[in-house]
Amino acid sequence: MSENLLWVEKYRPKKVANVVGNDEAKAAFIDWFKSKRRTKKAVLLYGPPGVGKTTLVNAAANEFGFTVIEMNASDTRSEKAVRAVAAPATSFVALDTFYKESKGNILFMDEVDGIAGNEDRGGVSALLKIVENARVPVIMAANDPDLQKLRPLKKVCALVRFQQVRIPLIIATLRKICQKEGVEAEFEALEKIAQNSRGDVRSAINDLQSLAETEKTLTLQDTMILSARNKDVGMDEVLREYFSAKSLEEASLLLFRSSVEYDNFIMAVGDNLPLRYTDPVELAEAYDFVSQADMFRGRIGTEHWHLLRYFFNDLARAAAVSPQSYKPFTLISPPIRVITLFWTKGKRTTLEKICGKIGQRCHVSRQTAKEDFVPFLKVMLEKQKALPVASWLELAPEEVEFLKKMSKF
Amino acid sequence: MVVLNKKAFRLPRLEKDKFVLLMRLGLQYDRANGTFCVNSYNNIEKVIDTLGEILNDKNVGFMQSCLICGKDFPCLECRYYEICETKNLPFKCICGRCLEEGKTIGE
Repeated sequence: MSENLLWVEKYRPKKVANVVGNDEAKAAFIDWFKSKRRTKKAVLLYGPPGVGKTTLVNAAANEFGFTVIEMNASDTRSEKAVRAVAAPATSFVALDTFYKESKGNILFMDEVDGIAGNEDRGGVSALLKIVENARVPVIMAANDPDLQKLRPLKKVCALVRFQQVRIPLIIATLRKICQKEGVEAEFEALEKIAQNSRGDVRSAINDLQSLAETEKTLTLQDTMILSARNKDVGMDEVLREYFSAKSLEEASLLLFRSSVEYDNFIMAVGDNLPLRYTDPVELAEAYDFVSQADMFRGRIGTEHWHLLRYFFNDLARAAAVSPQSYKPFTLISPPIRVITLFWTKGKRTTLEKICGKIGQRCHVSRQTAKEDFVPFLKVMLEKQKALPVASWLELAPEEVEFLKKMSKF
Repeated sequence: MVVLNKKAFRLPRLEKDKFVLLMRLGLQYDRANGTFCVNSYNNIEKVIDTLGEILNDKNVGFMQSCLICGKDFPCLECRYYEICETKNLPFKCICGRCLEEGKTIGE
């Protein structure tokens, strides 16, 4: 079983002392965690990705016998959802305490800077209430703590800052893994991987595994692929190679090496599939794989990168449904949705401006103005009955014309 | 470059404003020994800038201790000094000798 594990998971530290780097941050966090009279009920761990924030929380929970109840960016974190999960977790005794040596729960809110948009509405204020009434440690993690929306949270949290892990520490970590996996690695190769990771231990271990897992040797020459991956290869080039791949392996390797933005790439694949496959059965099969890949992309979010291989695999299978039927075609790129958003940006901005004016006058949100006011205003304007309203709303003549000509809301 | 000992270092006599600023930024003062040490690390860049002003040297750094052999060494000795983006923190790293000898953490 452990043979198939990603090395990041296999060698994930189980004890606080084994978490690499950020010693002062670790000490500050453990001081807070062990303190019986905490001045702040919650702690906010912040710093770049891959430096050990989540690992430290899990290691501390494991070492001190707590059960972690986690909500991360892949969960919806609206007020209702936060209350449903966090309130019981922070106020009731954990069931675990009765059958194993658990000291209780820890509420861990990962990537709190990702709480945004309509789906997560009210999430931050709900969190604040949870922190105020919490009887268990509340831990939060964020990459960017300077966001406006996190200010109220920062006031009630002890702040612990994490920094990039230094190159010598990453090299030592990689060397340790190599010893355990029986990989003979050149120092220069490990150095290259460490430098390439820019302080992100997780990505360094993933790079090491991808380069050394099969051959069990690693030379500086082997690491050149990393430079190739980081090279800024355009979407068109990757799409062209992806669709012309002669096998599943070729498509998989290409996806691994590329550094295209995954969300845009999957949209572009969806747009181009009808041009690639003319046979409806093949097309349906390919779309099926893309939909599965899309599902994995959703689950990956910004945290579960160990699922990336499944995302790549399904996407590669979509390209390899029928390699022999490939005929060159004109690619649609960038994705249609992105192009549409680009072309309609001006119109959307004008509409937002109008909705802002309506909202200000009528004391409603922009969204309400868009849905409940604009359609009627348009009808009134078309019938020339709304000019007094337009002047009351302080709409400019071009905005009135815009509303008259608008066809879709 | 001025390399300070993170556990205890002395500074020339300070004006009240500077002293208050350093305390606010996270330093601690040991009245008995007349030494300072770093208590909070969240504002370490500002601490170092302020110390640089006080000591009239832009390059102020703290001594690092090796996670493997435990010896203290300055960052300047490190082969990655130029490209390291986290020179100020943490105060623990791996010295050049242990790195060259291929030692790993926890051996």
